[in-house]
Formats: sequence, C-alpha cells, structure tokens
Amino acid sequence: MKNKKIELLSPAGDLERLKVTLLYGADAVYIGGQKYSLRANATNFSIEEIKEATTFAHNLHKKVYLTLNIVFHNEDMYEVKDYIKEVADAGVDAFIVSDPFIISYLKENYPNIEVHLSTQNSTSNYKAVEYFKEEGINRVVLARELKKEEIKEIIDKTKMDIEVFIHGAMCTCFSGRCALSNYVTNRDANRGGCAQVCRFPFETDEEIPFTMATKDLNLANYICDLIDIGVTSLKVEGRMRSLYYLATVIGAYREIIDSYYNQCLTEDKLESLEKRLSRVANREVSSQYFNKEADWSDQYYTGRQELSNQDYLGLITGYDKENDSLIVIERNYFERGDKVEIFTPEGNIYPYVIDKIYDENMNELEVARHPEQILKLKFDQELPSYSMIRLIEKSKV
Amino acid sequence: MKLLVEPSGKNINYLSFCDGLILPLKDFSVQSKIYFSKEEIKEIIINNPTLEIFITINKNFLNEDIDQLKEALLYLDKLDIKGIFFYDIAVLQLKKELNLKVDLVWNQTHMVNNYETCNYYYKKGVNYALLGKEITLEEIKEIIKNSSITPMVEVISIPSVAFSKRKLITNYYKFLGKTPTSELKAKEKVSNQEYLLLEDSNGTSFFLNEIMNGTSIIKELFEMNTPYIVLREWAIDQKLFEEIVKDTYYYVKKDCIDEEYIEKYRQLGTTNFFFKKTIYRVKNNEK
Repeated sequence: MKNKKIELLSPAGDLERLKVTLLYGADAVYIGGQKYSLRANATNFSIEEIKEATTFAHNLHKKVYLTLNIVFHNEDMYEVKDYIKEVADAGVDAFIVSDPFIISYLKENYPNIEVHLSTQNSTSNYKAVEYFKEEGINRVVLARELKKEEIKEIIDKTKMDIEVFIHGAMCTCFSGRCALSNYVTNRDANRGGCAQVCRFPFETDEEIPFTMATKDLNLANYICDLIDIGVTSLKVEGRMRSLYYLATVIGAYREIIDSYYNQCLTEDKLESLEKRLSRVANREVSSQYFNKEADWSDQYYTGRQELSNQDYLGLITGYDKENDSLIVIERNYFERGDKVEIFTPEGNIYPYVIDKIYDENMNELEVARHPEQILKLKFDQELPSYSMIRLIEKSKV
Repeated sequence: MKLLVEPSGKNINYLSFCDGLILPLKDFSVQSKIYFSKEEIKEIIINNPTLEIFITINKNFLNEDIDQLKEALLYLDKLDIKGIFFYDIAVLQLKKELNLKVDLVWNQTHMVNNYETCNYYYKKGVNYALLGKEITLEEIKEIIKNSSITPMVEVISIPSVAFSKRKLITNYYKFLGKTPTSELKAKEKVSNQEYLLLEDSNGTSFFLNEIMNGTSIIKELFEMNTPYIVLREWAIDQKLFEEIVKDTYYYVKKDCIDEEYIEKYRQLGTTNFFFKKTIYRVKNNEK
C-alpha cells in the first residue's frame, strides 16, 4: 500500500455533473473539451466552463484532468497548440493523451502540468511503461485486459503512477485497436465517434446472431487489492452518465475506499454498497480480466434490453423554510406510501416514507407524475444542494 | 517504388515480382493466418538474398512475454533484416535498451494517421511507418510530403479492422452449445457488410471480407516518390493475388502509365477510405 491515499477519479460530461461528482467524493474528475476528446458527441466543456470547473475543483482541493486523447489526423494538428494553450491557461491539472507527439509537445512546453497516458494506447507491460516514463509521462492508464498480478508487477518494476479502470462499460477489443465503427458506420472510433458496433448483432450461418457485447466492469469487491498493490488512481468510466448514476457510484466507491483505510470495511457494508451499485447498473457486471482471462461468462449473446433505471425520484434543489419542505425537481414517478432514501453528498442517508406531495404552491398532489416538475416534501431540516431521492420500495397500496 | 508482399502461405510463387516480403513472426504476431518461425525466416533470407525482408511483431505484449521478446529481437538483429513492423512500444524500448541495429516500422494499425507523429517516431530512431488504412489519399499524400520517415502504403489487402484479446468465436459457440471453429463469417445487418473473424491463442481478429483495392492510387503515390507499397495475400484468392502482384510489378516498373492496369482492376473490391473521409462529430456533420 502506498503512503498517499488512493485517488478516486470520476468522469463528468458537463459542469453540473462535475460539481455533483466532486461533492459526492471524487478526488479528481476527467472531462472532455470541445475538441480532441474521445467522446466527440458528449456535451463537453467550453473554455469558460473548464475555467469554472477548475476553480470549483481547486476550491475543494480537488483536480481536473482534460482528455486530449484522440488519435490525431493531420488536420487535427493544425490548431491543437493554440487549444492546448487555452486549456492550460484555464487551469487543468493534467492532460490525458494518447499521441506521443502531443506528449512530447506538452512536456516541452507545459512542464508543470501532468501528462497521463490514455488507455487508448492499451499499455499492457512494464517495458512499454518504462518507455513512456522516460518520455516524462506522469501516470499511465493501463489496458483493461490486465490481471491483478500483471498490474502489480508493472507497479513494482516501474514505480510509475498507475491508473486502473474499476467501473463501467468495457470495450470488446483492445482500445485503439478497433476500427469497427469506421467500417460499419463511417464514424471514426479513434477520434471520438465510436458507434459501439461491438453491441450490434451480426448474422452468421447459425440461427442465433453473433454478438460480442461485454458485461460492464465492477471491481467494488477488489478495491482493497488495488490499494494494497499500490495503484495510484481508480477510474470510473462514463462521461455520458447521469447525475444520479455518478452520485451513487462515486458515493459508493468513496465509502468503500474510506472504510478500508479506516479499517471498518465489513463484509456486510461491502455487500450493502454493492447492492447500491447494482441498482444504478443498466447491464450485468463482472470483474472481466482482473482475476482470470475474460471468457464467455463476461459477454452477452442474445438481444438484451438495456434496463432503464426508475429509482431516481428527485433532485433536491433547496429548502422552503416557511413550509418546512424540501424543494425537489421530479425525475421519475412516485406516489404516497413509497419508501425512499434521501441521500446527501456528504454520505448521509435518511430513510423516508412519502406521505404528502405538494406542488411548488403547496397544493397537495396524489402522485408525482411529471418529470421536471418542482415539488415539495415535508422534511424537518435543510439538506445540501444536490442531495437526491431514490426509491427503496414501491407503495403497496 | 518497391513492392512488399505479406504471403499467406509458405510456397510463394511471386518472389521474382516483388522487392521484399513481410513475414509475421510465430508467437509474436497477430492478425495473420500464417506465421514464420525464426528458423524459417533465416532460411528465407539465405535463399533470397536480393529480397528485403521485414518481420512483423505486432502483439500487445504482457509482462510474461518480455524476456522471450528480448531473445527474439536479439536473434533477429543478427540476421539480414530490413526492419521490424511493431505495434507495442515495448519493442521500441527494447531496441533502445539493447542497442539493436535493426530498423523499425511504426505499425500501430489504426493510429498512423498524421505527419507530426511520424516525425516524432523518426526522431526516436524509427525509420519507417506503415500508414493507417482509415485515412484518405489526400491525408496520405500530406504525410508523405511533410514527414521525414520512410512511408509505406498498404494498397491491396483484406483489411484488418479490429483485434480483441477475447476468444469471441469460442465464446459464441460455447453459448450455442456447439464445437467452435477458428474462423467465422459475420454480416452486420444494417450496413450489409460481411466480416471475417479469425481466432487463435492470442485472441480474435476482424477483417473486412472485401478486397481493399488501392490500384487506382498507386500512380499518385509513385509520382510522390513513395518508397514502398504493401500487398497482403491473406484471404484473397491465390491466383488472383499472384496476378495482382505481377501486374502491379510491371505497372510500377513502367512508371505507372499503363491505363489497362487501372481498367483491369477498376471494379475490384473497395477503395476503402482512400476517397471517403470518416466522421466523428455526428451533430456537426449532419448540419
């Protein structure tokens, strides 16, 4: 185990999600700017938003990393240096990069900003890590195809800061070594246009189509191992995920990490946190390559509906002192008698049974059936912004 | 302009019509069907002293592979090899550490897409680059014009599309409850495009099941003094491939002025991305 506490690194697709995930316990976030990021179709951050993001994060003593990890074509190079200057001036703490020319440019011109090697390079052995260490890279995000022992050996042999994916969607192929999206849809996978062709069915001579979609990664059970072998940063996938997803996932991992360091991570606690994670998952999960070679059990084979999560009932935006009520923006249908939990960025959880529902003018409603409607719920104390309400059990009435 | 050919068998009938061979090294290469042992490579070099021999070492290596990789590189360094096509940066690191004299070819399949990065690798002692297949002819020309590295352009092949560490064919047949094969044809429904999948102990390779035909761009490459073009045999009809190699050889030797050559192959396969630009920002591209 390293002396320095392991970092929990969260994705953020926009400014609001960045704020939420930092408040819920991420130590750092990675974001995409409006150029050169591998999620070209996400909302992404303008320069002004990056400035606001870094100010917000730095006030909390947290960090913002910017992805600059496309595989560059000639035309992408024309203006990249101007763009790098703008985002560097906006205060980002690190660049996540795959192209070695860009790495060398950054190290030469911005020596005070860290450069992290993107997983797009699928770095899978200590010799490759040694190369990039000599190039001045500060951290390597390893390929997702590695086992625990392989990760440990890389750390032991190179002493490099290593970042590992712990949660979220997986690629079927080696990152960077897949152009299926280019060929099937003409969308360039390595420039942020990936159409996720690995989730498409393919016809064969067999009756059942060939599919290669993978289950999602979940290493909640192995966080202690990752801390013990000296990993520097634990990364959650999903720059296009919702506020609720990020709050739940980051909140759960924060609790696992802190409990382990505080020597109070019991099996019961871990089980309960895993249950919480499973409630926001829209796919089945596995540990993929971490313990064994990924095999047939880590994939899907038939047409499968992505689960739409209805547990997220509302986002708390304020408190009406006059009426002792939480102000809530509705996200999903709920009704009187529903058992819920109200949870806060600090990790507090309040069990609550929906008794009365009011609209913003304190008119009583039978049910909450209009997402985005402003509602009020009686509650005896003010809660911080970005507290949320999740469903635990539907009303039996 | 030299013709480099990657054969798909060990009986090669077109040796006098090419300038060099690309030989995937057994246990160190992927995305091929035929691999050559170190001893076989040595024999080919001895028997073909006029041919330029390049070796492919394009696996994603794990820690456990590094010692054997070192041994293989030291062995190859003593042979009369023109260069090694590499994917994993470990190969470049080992060339540096072991002070190997053999040249390297930057061959990160879908990543060799701009001249700045070609120049970066050139400065790091990599003398050749096999350019990506998912870029346009204009992009290829811009790289050739602006980089110091010796460029190679793949003009005939069943193009490799993706590579996974997973045993995707085995897994599929296990789910079906049937005995797995090592190859599979799979068609994507919407695009109606067929892919060839090939599985071995290293994982699963995807290929477009159509010939990438760059015969129509060879003249422009020739006029730009492009030093090498690459032709890969795998999954192409043997007789057809031999004919293409011979025709291309004569076409190039006669300064690419034979219009009949262009006409003969005009309808063959796909021009892939030579004249088709990929998109990535869907909303902007839709405007």
